[in-house]
Amino acid sequence: MQFFYFHLMPWPDLPADFDRRYQSSWVTLPNRIYDPQRGQHLYNQYLDELERAEALGFDGLGVNEHHQNAYGTMPAPNLMAAALVRRTSKAKIAILGNGIALHDHPLRIAEEVAMLDVMSGGRIISGFVRGIGCEYLSLGVNPTYSRERFYEAHDLIVRAWTEPGPFTFEGKHYRVRYANPWPRPLQQPHPPIWLPSQGSTETIRFAVQHRYPFVTVFTAYAHTKRLLEEYKAEAERAGYVAPPEQIGFALPVYVAETDARARDEAKAHVMWLFQRGLKIPPNWLLPPGYVTEASLRKFLAADMKPPNDLSFDELERAGYVLLGSAATVRDRLKEHWKDLGFGLFIGGGRIGDMPHDKASKSQELFAREVIPALRAECVA
Amino acid sequence: MAHRSEFLSVRGVRTHLLHGGRGEPLLVLTAEFGSGVWHPYLDRLSAQFRVLAPDHLGFGESERPEWLDGIDDLVFHYVDLLDALEIRATAIIGVSVGGWIAAEFAVAHPERVRQLILVGAAGLKIDGVPRYDLFLNPIEDILPHLFHDETRAAQLLPTEYGPEVVVRAYRESTTLARLAWNPYLYNPKLERRLARITAPTLVVWGEQDGFLPLAYGEAYARAIPAARLQTVPNCGHLVPFEQTDEFVGHVSEFIRRP
Repeated sequence: MQFFYFHLMPWPDLPADFDRRYQSSWVTLPNRIYDPQRGQHLYNQYLDELERAEALGFDGLGVNEHHQNAYGTMPAPNLMAAALVRRTSKAKIAILGNGIALHDHPLRIAEEVAMLDVMSGGRIISGFVRGIGCEYLSLGVNPTYSRERFYEAHDLIVRAWTEPGPFTFEGKHYRVRYANPWPRPLQQPHPPIWLPSQGSTETIRFAVQHRYPFVTVFTAYAHTKRLLEEYKAEAERAGYVAPPEQIGFALPVYVAETDARARDEAKAHVMWLFQRGLKIPPNWLLPPGYVTEASLRKFLAADMKPPNDLSFDELERAGYVLLGSAATVRDRLKEHWKDLGFGLFIGGGRIGDMPHDKASKSQELFAREVIPALRAECVA
Repeated sequence: MAHRSEFLSVRGVRTHLLHGGRGEPLLVLTAEFGSGVWHPYLDRLSAQFRVLAPDHLGFGESERPEWLDGIDDLVFHYVDLLDALEIRATAIIGVSVGGWIAAEFAVAHPERVRQLILVGAAGLKIDGVPRYDLFLNPIEDILPHLFHDETRAAQLLPTEYGPEVVVRAYRESTTLARLAWNPYLYNPKLERRLARITAPTLVVWGEQDGFLPLAYGEAYARAIPAARLQTVPNCGHLVPFEQTDEFVGHVSEFIRRP
């Protein structure tokens, strides 16, 4: 099993009247709330935490892309990957992922990821995402084309990495007469592509068809399980058994000395993550055409309570987070491994507005007391 | 008045048409809300005209073809619809997004428009005059915002939000986003082209329009050569729904004596 230390780089300092005054931490939350002086401190602390994850023995470091919000202040994940490339030497750097459908020039993403791959000596994992619904409001991109743009950008980037240039690409959304990017990626045929996703039927099929690892997002355990089972079933229909290295499980984890202490220390930050960081009106999560009618029906039929309506106990019981002593976290992850068969674990380290000292303690306990045991025991 | 509901195949695209009344044709390009319903204003107009109220493609019960991605596609579609109905020229009413389609239709095919009535028409953008964002706000907030007297929104709100209602609303907002997400509800070329409209034009605007403020009505009336602006007091964006009597009065008077 491979362990990734994943960072969202949240903006922890929301105003005291946030809950009452603002409908969301996305799209319309005034950017005057962001303080660049404090931002400098936070970015460096967040990067320190990622660098330390390598020293503690994590296999990889995870960054991702989100725009114009307090949940994750990392609109350009490739910049963070670049900062990490020069300060680390062994760990994989997983970009989870670039929002390829959000940008008007996929070649730019092909170029940046290839640069990172060359600079890092082939340590880059290239996740591709569509971007969440809010980002279509924030960036003015038409959500009804999200899926088409995602597939087309994917095709262009993969061709740019693998096909001798120059070549011509004439898509519906992207057209390039001379695609010929320098540099080419170091990993051959190209850096591994992962698909972190909320799990629409269409994305699951796409991942299976290309044998791309599918990575779940922070959600209820039962939902994660449903999606991973759908992925495995789809792989069987496609004629193969999805191996563990194609199955990614993402989960915010907090480890402390005892179960009671872990819950007590993490509670406020878990609530921040789900009630503030993910405070998003449903019509921003699913802007027009962002999902197909079939996926909308599946979503309505699942009848899930939005996580921001759940209490701390409900969130914990439903498995949105895993909090406990090292022994508890180890045992629980081992059960999950038996149940889900994942070979990639993407642990959310600094939960919500958690301060550095708590995040560091949990990171260290996880690395020293959870990872080695699971590596030894979770072998297929 | 009696009305009929029919499905036509317009160049192979399934199109739902409500129609009723006799006499001179009156094509009603409806608002983006309340598709597929024979509303009281349509019924009242059908006492004097042959009212034709199709559901726009991707709204109500009309099909959304995959190629639909701009207002120009709907303009061609309505040319085809008039041809199918063997109507050479007609009076046209366009409300909100329907008003945008009507204005573009009259720009491209002035000879097919006898009189043009634009009601709270989308399609233009004036610097410094903000428009309400239909995509930022949930439907239960949007409709009251479109009325001066919020209680009048009830006629367009669903009585319950079952899955079918949600899916249909999502389908219609998907069509609207396909047409108008960015640029948001306007065509940067339209204002300059409005001078091509030859039909006598009545621009009807609610004085309290909170979606497209009156400045938009003034801009239409200014840019279309034979246009006059009729404002409606105590009225928000959806004039035919909020001040039905006054609206029907203005329309019949204008069509009889433009």
